[in-house]
Amino acid sequence: MAVAAARLVLGLALALAAHVVGSWLVPELPRFLDLFLVVAVLNALGGSSASGLLGGAAAGLIHDALSGRLYGLHGFADTIVGYAVARAAQRLDLGGPGAVLVAVALATLLEESILVLLALLFTAPEPPDPVWVVVEALANGAVGALLYLAGSRFGMLRERARRRRLTKIRL
Amino acid sequence: MKESHAVWLLALVLVAQLLLLAVQVRGEGGKNLLERGMLRVVAPMPRLVSWFSGSVEELGEGFRSRDQLELESRTLRGRLEELELELFRLRNVEEERDRLAAALDYTPQVPGRLRPVEVIYLDHSSWLRTLILHLGEQPARVDQPVVTPEGLVGRVVEVSGPYAKVQLLTDRAAAASAVIARTRRQALVRGGSDLLELDFVPLQASVLPGDRVLTAGTDGIYPRGILIGTVVEVGDSGELFREVAVAPAVDFAFLDRVYLLERGRIPDGLIEGDGRGGR
Repeated sequence: MAVAAARLVLGLALALAAHVVGSWLVPELPRFLDLFLVVAVLNALGGSSASGLLGGAAAGLIHDALSGRLYGLHGFADTIVGYAVARAAQRLDLGGPGAVLVAVALATLLEESILVLLALLFTAPEPPDPVWVVVEALANGAVGALLYLAGSRFGMLRERARRRRLTKIRL
Repeated sequence: MKESHAVWLLALVLVAQLLLLAVQVRGEGGKNLLERGMLRVVAPMPRLVSWFSGSVEELGEGFRSRDQLELESRTLRGRLEELELELFRLRNVEEERDRLAAALDYTPQVPGRLRPVEVIYLDHSSWLRTLILHLGEQPARVDQPVVTPEGLVGRVVEVSGPYAKVQLLTDRAAAASAVIARTRRQALVRGGSDLLELDFVPLQASVLPGDRVLTAGTDGIYPRGILIGTVVEVGDSGELFREVAVAPAVDFAFLDRVYLLERGRIPDGLIEGDGRGGR
């Protein structure tokens, strides 16, 4: 539990750093890449509903701190997304990069739909451009799959190193 | 945690966030402790990146030839002379204005002091437009106008320690009372996707592409006479009012330094028909 929480905090800190650096290099980046959502979804894929929804809330509220208008729009949307992905991960096998790509892309579409509903409820609605939403879903999915692959590779290397250490101790 | 507990937790978190949103919609957004706390936690990262990018630029500027420096120095000396002449002319205009004002027993609007502040983050995504400032030692206040030499940028909507969040004029929820410089026709400028909208301009009013739009100074936030933008499109398809599009004077994609306008705040009780728009 503590390890998962520490991993989430580290993931969000790295997402924040990448988001800020990315926005500095490419000002339009936040339009087609939501790294906070990617981290929230990867965290939720662990399968714990509580961790999924709390991770989603944290990711969304950090995103809200960097954007204007009502504080909590992303927080609300990402909470639902985190919970939904965690529940899906409990029922489906979302273990491969392809599945992660689809999960993150669908999560992006769900988040955008919730944001539009919230905008209709609370503020003057300005529906997002559907083309940009599709681009964002694909970009988020691709980045999510890459991060998943990198995480799996890192886990494999760590496991191999651990086994090597154990072998040395036996000798 | 059991699944039934997770459902209750979900409901609790969602209700809390809905309440947070509802409180802001009611117009109490400036008192959002959670947003202030999060801004304080998150803002050091953009500040770090801004400092790093500034250092890289300074490093690049350090490697310049003597010829380049001499050329730059000559250019700057020329510019300084031009600005000194302009200052001389403006001082004369100011003196004349004061003389005329005294003769007419009229109190002219005193322009506020400008304080330069650093932009550390600019969010220019599709429908949430904001920037984060690093204020340094001196604090800012909510609703303080933010300008550049080109024109109006927006207003401060949240302050947390040395950081402030600014609502850009291009935000859909932003609004300012405006006046068309050529005809002195008053109107209301609202944020739009790329261009600003000039509302409440009657069909019989004269508006032409190229007309300059300034702040009217009647909304209790922005002082009179700051350039907002230029009229680029005039439509007359409305029943009572024209549809007027205004190109903002400021290029919001390239903001690295802005100015906070320091001036006394008008007491809330004196502002009738608050035209500042929601958050």
